[in-house]
Order: sequence, then structure tokens, then C-alpha cells
Amino acid sequence: MSATRDFSQDRTFLIDMTRCTGCRACQVACKQWNQMKAEKTVFFNGEGYQNPPAMSEYTLTKVKFRDYEKNGHNQFAFYKEMCMHCNEPACVSVCPVSAFIKTPEGPVVYDTKRCIGCRFCMVACPFGVPKYQWSKALPLVVKCTGCYSRLKAGLKPACAKACPSAISYGSRTDMIQEAKRRLAAKPDRYFNKIYGLEEAGGTSVLYLTEQPFDELGFKNVTRRPLPSLTWAALRFVPAVFLTMGGSLAFISWLTHRKDRLRKEEEARKSASTQPKEDK
Amino acid sequence: MSAIANIKQEIKSYHPFIKTLMFLVTAGVLAAAARFVFGLGATTNLSDTYPWGLWISFDVVTSVPLAAGAFVLGAVVHCFHIKKLEPLVRPAVVTGFLGYSLVCIGLILDLGQPHRGWHVFAYPNLHSPMFEVALCVMSYTTVACLEFLPSVCEKFGFHVPLRLLRSIEVPLIVLGAAIATLHQSTIGTFFLIAADKLHNLWYNPLLPLLFWTSAVFTGFCIIIIEAVMVHRYLKQPDETELLATLTKIIPWFLGIYLIIKLCSLFFLSARPLFDRPGLTILFLMELVLGIIIPLIMFMTKRIRTDSSWQLRAASMVAFFGLVLNRFNVSMFGLIQKDQQIYYPSFLESVVTIGIIAAHILFFALIARYFPIFEHHPEEVDYTIPDHFHRIDKQTISEKAV
Repeated sequence: MSATRDFSQDRTFLIDMTRCTGCRACQVACKQWNQMKAEKTVFFNGEGYQNPPAMSEYTLTKVKFRDYEKNGHNQFAFYKEMCMHCNEPACVSVCPVSAFIKTPEGPVVYDTKRCIGCRFCMVACPFGVPKYQWSKALPLVVKCTGCYSRLKAGLKPACAKACPSAISYGSRTDMIQEAKRRLAAKPDRYFNKIYGLEEAGGTSVLYLTEQPFDELGFKNVTRRPLPSLTWAALRFVPAVFLTMGGSLAFISWLTHRKDRLRKEEEARKSASTQPKEDK
Repeated sequence: MSAIANIKQEIKSYHPFIKTLMFLVTAGVLAAAARFVFGLGATTNLSDTYPWGLWISFDVVTSVPLAAGAFVLGAVVHCFHIKKLEPLVRPAVVTGFLGYSLVCIGLILDLGQPHRGWHVFAYPNLHSPMFEVALCVMSYTTVACLEFLPSVCEKFGFHVPLRLLRSIEVPLIVLGAAIATLHQSTIGTFFLIAADKLHNLWYNPLLPLLFWTSAVFTGFCIIIIEAVMVHRYLKQPDETELLATLTKIIPWFLGIYLIIKLCSLFFLSARPLFDRPGLTILFLMELVLGIIIPLIMFMTKRIRTDSSWQLRAASMVAFFGLVLNRFNVSMFGLIQKDQQIYYPSFLESVVTIGIIAAHILFFALIARYFPIFEHHPEEVDYTIPDHFHRIDKQTISEKAV
């Protein structure tokens, strides 16, 4: 993949969960902008006070609630789930028809007209982001586009626009700088890590939290860019093909030549003996 | 009698087992039709957590190595020129061709937008293992079809195409083996991307190599199973002696596989390895029942040369080793802790059973109507004919009956 690309100017979300009030304005704004259907939900369905229970074909972003105990007090923590818009996205690398594109501005978008519906992107995504239209006979993948259309029109993404407190939006360098500044300014307020800085080779969504990330349900993801994992094997393809084909071709030429020589030898022998018998 | 009455008569004469298979295939076709009418979500138990289910795990990931017999035997017989194995080639080619055609059908059912299959050519992505497998499976199915065509030509006495096919036979076999090597290994590459999902017991960078090696010995094992079955149920000659040559090759590949598997497990896999008892049991079953016991069996000379023991050892490899391994990698190993567990729906299972039944059914029918068993080198001349004369159809059709 294009490891040489500079990601510092990519449009990036900085989501500070310590500032999140759990109002879910982002969730509603996303649904409105993308014209997504509402989901019928049941309270207390899933791991906490959250509805709908998970991201789905109708819900591209969602606030997860997690309750925990700290110093003998029950407390809440929030976590906004959405596409991480990886710098080197696994979905882009595994899609056989190039339906996923990492745009130069940062967001990873999906072309509904190309998709053949193999769902490899869903298997590959380490964050479990792409969702499928299980309700349809000829389904497509659905995922957060980072509001690429709004971005093109010079607007902020719907969720970042609607958020009253927690989401900052800007270039990746600026957002990393801002996150580091906050971590340094209030070290006792934050868990000392920026999630998304190195996960899956870096993403365009950065998180700051109060709790350790794994306790909030953030996935523990390798720091290596995922496309490099398959590329490590795939780059041998031409070599394997040529070696295998070449060596087998050579071996069969050799064995058949032996056979041919033996036959010619026999033919010569019978030819030399034949005339004598005739006489 | 009209043609339809003829066909009816013919079908009535079939063995009840064949009729049962026909029923199962019909059920599978109906279930497949239901998938297109009601959609994937309504007819399968797939979900956003389990985007790949039984159809990918069995109909694609497992069927592809099970159909590997054609390429390994083709390479052994035509490239290494071990001519005495010739009688096994055509049945193996039929199995391979059927296997791949059914893989294609399984894929079409599983795709969300099957009518856009050609997009793979229109918008290729060289970085995608799926792109490579799609390309290879398509081209290999074509190659397998061409390898199968000579029996069709012989049946109908098409001598010109037959001559053409014979002259490209060896290049086809070489091409087929090279393509098969690529996609058998690339199916392993699929799961390299699932670094944080596939359990450490199976995830390691040598997955493609392991997939290829296991496909090779499974290919041989399937040939053994098929030859013994054909001898028992289709009244074909006993090939135990020829199979003994194959059983000499198998332990080498099994051994190499076992060594690579253990080395990659202990030196290349991340830790922890044995933190989940369910997966550990599956892994041990795969290792002991599917590799170690058959390896010991194949190394014992008495077992290697006895047809019923050959069958037992071979089917252990194929069913416990290979099938369990592919299910472990593509299904069980991907299950995360504390996650709801996927199990196939009724319709999904009916489709898969239908596909297996179709394979056996088509094999039996092809065996009945096409000359795939009479290729003993002492009887048939394999050299490319020097003339364009019509092939003597009489002798072939007589034998086929």
C-alpha cells in the first residue's frame, strides 16, 4: 500500500470522552444527515443503557454507555462508536473490486455501485465497522463516510457539528497536538494514551478517555498497518506462479524427452532389424 | 418413444441412492432460490458479528482443498511422468472440475450482488487476496473443464477437438498446478488480515504455506477415498496397488505439514495459545486425529497397501484434519470471547447438503455416461494421434456400458 502518503493533513476527529455528556446529538445528527431509518429497540437490551444495542445498517455511529465503580461510587463512561477512517485501511486493501477508497482528505468512502457483496471488509476491519443490509435480498455494505459530501461542501461532519462539547475536528497534526496538550495539562483527568494514534497503523479518529481503553470496550488492535499483513504473503504471488509453472514445465519437458528418446531408440532398432527379417 | 419418455425410463432405472441424491439436490436448489427471494438475512444466521458462515467455511474454504486431487495427480502423472497412475487421473479431474464448479455456485449464493461478479475484472484490486482467489478459481475452473473435455469428445467421437486437447494436455496440467498453488495458498492469506480476530492457535504468518501443503495431501486422500468407493459401488477395477504409490507420497507431505505447523505454533504465533479450552480441544482434535494418527498409519507398510486401511487413513485426514482445520480457521477460531455463537440455519444447511449431494450425484452420472474409467495405459494410446481420422467410437461406447 501507499506507505509513503503523508497523513498529517487528513481531516481528523478528536473525541474527548471526558467531555462527553452522553446526549447522543451526534447519533441523531448522523441519522438525519444520512437519512437512516429509526430502529425499533428494547430497553436494557445489550451491555448497558444504550440504544440501539450496536451499530447496524441503520446506525452509523452510536454512543456506548459503560457503568463502572470508582472509589465505591457508581459512575458512567461513554464511548462514541464510528468508523475510524484508518490511514491504511484493511477494508480498502481486501476489497476485490476496489469499492472502498481512502480519499485524499482522509475519510474512507464506499462505492455502492462496485460492491459485489463478499463481506471480506467486515471480516478484515479490526474495529468491526462495516455493516451489512441483512434485510435486503441483494444487500450492500453500510458504513460511516466521515460525511465526505459535507466535507466537499466545506462543512464539518454532522456529528462533529452537532456535538456540544466532546468532538474537535481538524487536521491530524493539529488534533494530535491538541490531544497531547490536554494530556499534559490535566494528567490526573485522563488515562495517558491517545487511542487511534498508532492503532492499525494510525487512524483519523482519536480518542481520549478517563478509563483505561479496554475497560470501555475499545478493541485492542495491533499497531501494524493491517494491509501489510496480507501483502507480506501476496507479494510473492508472481514469483510463486513463475517458479511453480517453470519448474513443472521443465520437469515435464525432461521426463517427456526421456520417453521420446527411448521411443526413437526403439524405432531405430526395429528399423534396423526389420529389413533383415523381410529378406 | 419420445425423448422425454426415454429420460423418464432412464431415471427409473437408477439406484435408490441416486434418487435420494436427486431429491437432496432439488431441496438444495429450492433453498438457494429462497435465499434470492427473501435475502441473506432472512434465510441465514449470518450477522454483522459473523459475516462469513457455513457457505464460506464449507462450500468455499473447505471445498477448494477437497477438490485439489486433480492438480496434484495431474502434476504427478504428467509432469513427473509416473504413467502407471494414469487410470486415476480422469476420475480425479472430474472430481476437481465438479468441486470447483460447486465452489463457484456456493460463492454466487453467498455474494450479496452476484450479478456483479464481472466487477472483479472491471475494477481489479491487486492488494486483495479475494481478487486473486476469484481470478484463480475462475481460470482454474476453465482449465479443469478443458481437462475434463477429452472424455466428452471421446464419448461423442469429436476427433478434431480431441486432438487439439491432447496436444495442450501437458501445458494445461502445468498451468492448472501453478494456478492451484496460488489460490490454495491465498485462501490462507485471507485470514492474515484478521490479525486481532483469529485465535493465536491458528493465526501465524505461514498460514498460506500451511493451506497449500494441506491441500496437497488432502488431494491425494480424496483420490484414495474416491477410488475405493468407485471400486466398491460402481464395479470398477480394484486400484489398491496404484493407490499404494500415493500412500508413499502422502506421509512426506503430512510430515512436512506437521513440522511447519508446530514450528509456526511455537516460534511464530503470538501468546497466549491455550487460554480457551474449547478452542484448545478443537486444535488438539485436528492435530491428533487429522494429522498424527494418519501419519503413523501411512507410515506403516501393512496399512499403506491394504485398501480398507488406506480408505480409513485417508478419510481421517480429509475429515478430521482438513475439514476441521478449515472450520477452525474460518469459523471457530474467529469467535471472540463472550460472543454469541454462530450456528448455520436450516436453509443454509440444506443448501450445503444439496451441494455435497450434487457432487456425488454428478460424479455418478458422469461415471455412467462418459469414459472416465477405461484409461489404462496398456489399453489406450496416449500419444497425440497423427491423423485426423474419426476415433473408433464403437470400442469406447461398448466399454462404457
